[in-house]
Amino acid sequence: MRAFVLALSLTMPLGANAQDRGPILSDAIEAHILPGYSALSDSTNALADAARANCDPNSTPLRNAYNDAFDDWISVGHLRFGPSEAEDRAFALAFWPDTKGFTPKALSGLISTEDTAIQSPDAFAETSVAGRGFFALELMLYDPRFTDLGGAEYRCALMQAITADINRNAAAIDADWADYARALASPGENSPYRTEDEAMQELYKALTTGLEFTAETRLGRPMGSFDRPRPKRAEARRSERSLRHVELSLIALRDLAARLAADHPDIAADLDDAFAAAIDRAQSLDDPAFAGVATPQGRLRVEALQQSINDIRAIASTELGPTLGINAGFNSLDGD
Amino acid sequence: MTNRRSFLAGLAAASLAPLRGWSAVGAPDYLAAALFPDGTFRLAGLDTGGDILFSLPLPARGHAAAAHPHHAQAVAFARRPGTFAIIIDCATGTQTAVLEAPKSRHFYGHGVFSTDGTRLFTTENDFETVQGVIGVWNTDDYTRIGEFASGGVGPHDMRLMPDGRTLVVANGGIETHPETGRTKLNLPVMQPRLTYLDQYGGALEQVELPQELHKNSIRHLAVRPDGLIGFAMQWQGDTSQHPPLLGLHRRGEKPLLLSAPDGDQSTLQGYAGSIAFSGAGETVAITCPRGNAVHRFRVADGQLDGVFLHEDVCGLGTASNGFVFTTGTGVIGQLSTNKAQISNRADCQWDNHLIPIRTAA
Repeated sequence: MRAFVLALSLTMPLGANAQDRGPILSDAIEAHILPGYSALSDSTNALADAARANCDPNSTPLRNAYNDAFDDWISVGHLRFGPSEAEDRAFALAFWPDTKGFTPKALSGLISTEDTAIQSPDAFAETSVAGRGFFALELMLYDPRFTDLGGAEYRCALMQAITADINRNAAAIDADWADYARALASPGENSPYRTEDEAMQELYKALTTGLEFTAETRLGRPMGSFDRPRPKRAEARRSERSLRHVELSLIALRDLAARLAADHPDIAADLDDAFAAAIDRAQSLDDPAFAGVATPQGRLRVEALQQSINDIRAIASTELGPTLGINAGFNSLDGD
Repeated sequence: MTNRRSFLAGLAAASLAPLRGWSAVGAPDYLAAALFPDGTFRLAGLDTGGDILFSLPLPARGHAAAAHPHHAQAVAFARRPGTFAIIIDCATGTQTAVLEAPKSRHFYGHGVFSTDGTRLFTTENDFETVQGVIGVWNTDDYTRIGEFASGGVGPHDMRLMPDGRTLVVANGGIETHPETGRTKLNLPVMQPRLTYLDQYGGALEQVELPQELHKNSIRHLAVRPDGLIGFAMQWQGDTSQHPPLLGLHRRGEKPLLLSAPDGDQSTLQGYAGSIAFSGAGETVAITCPRGNAVHRFRVADGQLDGVFLHEDVCGLGTASNGFVFTTGTGVIGQLSTNKAQISNRADCQWDNHLIPIRTAA
């Protein structure tokens, strides 16, 4: 018996038709989430192996393993809830944007003091998230400030510590998803989600925040302003992965969107067309690190790509959101 | 508690006393920004019954407003990262001055007048150095006099304490930059704070939440006349967690966090929009537009004592008999002891905040 008043006003739409979300939830989990995190666990394991075998920053197998594993992270990087957020694992995998230069500071600190935390996975896991993960590894592999900094032996051990830590986090997320998948697929008493609608809304938010991050941060940061473009703010520009991240995230989000819209073929088609247009633009851009934003013409092309992603966002919020019981109200949609 | 009764009586008296200079305006009781059906964003003056007494166009979407303590004058703020604030003569319904944020600054949408009305303080973002700033303006001609550090990143709401001297600032902790829209740039390292400052920028007290809640952005404030602060939060962490969204703080003490039982708390999606104390001060409430709910708590024991469901409810103000709320669907309503009653429906979408004019803070 509740001790407090529960008042239901007439302004509240009642009983949004309860729909069976079970099949969509199961499909998104089985075909989108679990394979993605499983692949990341495997490829980060291969990355740690590669660093153990050869930690020369110019090693082709090591750089290939870095690229493969980073690809897999970007393909799940929109699934930011539950296991990825425990212990700040996702931030420890990918600390970006780094507006204050915490990653170079953390690496310089480790190297200049030859910090012994790198000798123990547990101790390394306690160090700053900024000095760990793919973006720290990228500096060690591709940034001349770091490829020669300090002693070669320490640098090697540091890269091995970073790659082992990446694998540890990826494996932990993958392992935790075994239980979390059940909680997401079966909302109720023993789940963070009380209803199937809440579980669906979690996946919808993953879609919309993933689109927002790619449009506003992956593209918006290097675009800067028209008068002051910021090519050096492009994500993973040193390994020339900036555009690739946009493309990979769009491909992953297209897959998720198609599954979420499975009961609404018209909306699914609208979304798929919009994704196809954006991915086409990305694939024809030929500007891997967005260096082109420094020129008006180059910036315009990146702006066109950003606009095509905003087109997807509009379809998601006006067409898909309402079918999933998402409150698209004036305040709830875009609060402050 | 010998003085509880006289304290509550004092509160009621304070909330009913009209402020000098405002009576000629047709006595608006509240200000609120809204989107009107013709596509214009406007600031409206409302009476307690929810009738719109006047409305004035804004250049873009508004957020909050502040009422001058003596003159029938109000300032309406752009929503972040806006760079305008408009001074409105509420007696004539005209715009009398425009504040432009200085270079490399934008407004966050909140501000407060000094007790004597000679100064206006505004929360701002120095987005190149990523420092929260309080701008200081001379209200004679609305020129900028100076600025000082807000004590954290992302200052949002700000209020004047009942002593008339101390500012309390909700430093939300979130770094944003106009070039990346509303994208949050520093979630893994964000550190929200409740900061008390004197009016010259001297830091008096910094309050932080426990480390596991460092992603709980402190955004909006309410002040009870005895100096108790209520703060509303927005959770930026794991969406499968449902931490408290309302806190109470008294200078020199530890904050107290209030939460509904899990089943209710989880519906809020980690988001509270506005906060207010009731007219008598015995309860405090938050609006939760993503959960379509108002949660009301007893201050004395911190227990939830009411859940009121309204679609897209967000604006919330103190009223003599409880609270007044607005929604994004145009509803204006009253929340008394045990019921929520709709008093009016306007043909507009009420924005985040409802600003009481007559309740002296």
